[in-house]
Amino acid sequence: MSGTRFTDSLTSLLDRAPTPEDFTSPARSPQLTARVGTWLGVCFLVAFLTGVWSHLAQLPNPLVPLPTRPIWLYRVTQGVHVAAGTAAVPLLLVKLWSVFPQLFRRPPTPTRARLLDAVERLSILVLVSSASFQLVTGLANSAQWYPWSFSFRSTHFALGWVAMGSLLVHVAVKLPVIRSAWLGPEVAPVPGAVSRRTILRATWAAAGVAVVTSAASGVPGVRRLSALAPRSGTGPGNVPVNKSAAAAGVTTAAADPGFTLAVSRGGVHRQLTRADLESMPQTTATLPIACVEGWSATGTWTGVRITELMALVDAPTGSAVLVESLQRGGASSRSRMPGNVAADPQAILALTLDGERLSLDHGYPCRIIAPNRPGALQTKWVNRIEVQA
Amino acid sequence: MTGTLRGTRTVIGAVGLVLGLYGVVRLLGLGWGNLLATVPWLAGVVVVHDGLLAPVVVLVGVAAARVLPTWGRRAALLVLVVLGPLTLLAVPVLGRFGAKADNPTLLDRPYAAGWAAVVAVVLVAAAAVAVHDRREGAPRG
Repeated sequence: MSGTRFTDSLTSLLDRAPTPEDFTSPARSPQLTARVGTWLGVCFLVAFLTGVWSHLAQLPNPLVPLPTRPIWLYRVTQGVHVAAGTAAVPLLLVKLWSVFPQLFRRPPTPTRARLLDAVERLSILVLVSSASFQLVTGLANSAQWYPWSFSFRSTHFALGWVAMGSLLVHVAVKLPVIRSAWLGPEVAPVPGAVSRRTILRATWAAAGVAVVTSAASGVPGVRRLSALAPRSGTGPGNVPVNKSAAAAGVTTAAADPGFTLAVSRGGVHRQLTRADLESMPQTTATLPIACVEGWSATGTWTGVRITELMALVDAPTGSAVLVESLQRGGASSRSRMPGNVAADPQAILALTLDGERLSLDHGYPCRIIAPNRPGALQTKWVNRIEVQA
Repeated sequence: MTGTLRGTRTVIGAVGLVLGLYGVVRLLGLGWGNLLATVPWLAGVVVVHDGLLAPVVVLVGVAAARVLPTWGRRAALLVLVVLGPLTLLAVPVLGRFGAKADNPTLLDRPYAAGWAAVVAVVLVAAAAVAVHDRREGAPRG
């Protein structure tokens, strides 16, 4: 095939591709797109802000100490994060449907206009790609499904910025269209066609059904309706398990009767058995486990205050604490409690849940539980607590 | 007014550009291996939507407009818009891809039955809409 023939057949193929005029559905309109797009933008903004908050909450050494009150704050923000992403799925699909013909618009002829068109198309490609990526990966993560080899947390975080950035660029480009679609004169409906109102109502219904059935399992009362939620709230003490003792490879070490907890500060060391911990003053706190995957569950935990353990090695109040698990490797094998968290009267090394001895999967012999922080930091199978200078 | 609009657009666009570039820098900072694993997914979601999902939905819309009587259109739209995205959302739990033998608290519901129940509720609601629209006679849109 000669170069010319190849170019010719390519040209004829492109000529036969549909044009925006081939899509004749009168249901598509800038008024519809702007309304769905605005709410989609709200969902992405909420998911972005709660996502950044979650990232800050997981930093081992935050620049500004995050508050430990209200105890339910992280539970709500992370639940909202997943709910906003879930609601965004039907909104994104309807939004893309409403502008799908634009994909086939031919580039304008003048050089400057052609260049601007290409730049805008590129920004939309980045937006569609990063936004869809965020929804797909976030959804799979909430069901602990990882069919990829990239790091979920850091990649999802990086692309959250890309999605938010390209969304703002898109809003800047389309602002005149958005403005006239919201504020302009009402367009007369086309007889016989499905109206904008019908499509909008169906879209809001889709978002509502999606959130209630898939992402509301942390809301008491709604939980029964969450037929498609990855967790219904079952588990020892009615608290689900994120990672089992077997998966963490700690079954033997955690069940060992010779287990001891090491508490240290500088050159001062103390070794405590579980019986030693049980004989110390016990504190009970009703606190949620709030997983980054969006689920959360309240438990009544009893154990030893972190401040009591710090007193054993004469640590000053306000010191930060490094917590290590029997688990070797993995992001959840160690965590750091900033000074304000360690000093909190509800920050405890729990020995029981709902009056029962802590189950192996919940972190027996002892685990961290403290208010308003991601579940990933509530380290299980704790065998070492080091007070930092 | 035009000047204010232009100023607003410039500010929003500039902020967007900075946030987006920060994200790209973060992504590149995760290393080449991570990037090479990410790019097929970034491309894949667009290819699957634009090349497969969207054309199928357009064809379904064209077919529905030809076949369905006017009174059945609102009901059909409700079914497509609610159940289409919901079914996509349910793929991870219906497939139980993340299930772990040592963790019965994960994916602990009968998801096929749950999905069927939601489908049934939406179909009943859609049927009510269709009956209503047929009784009304005039195409309400």
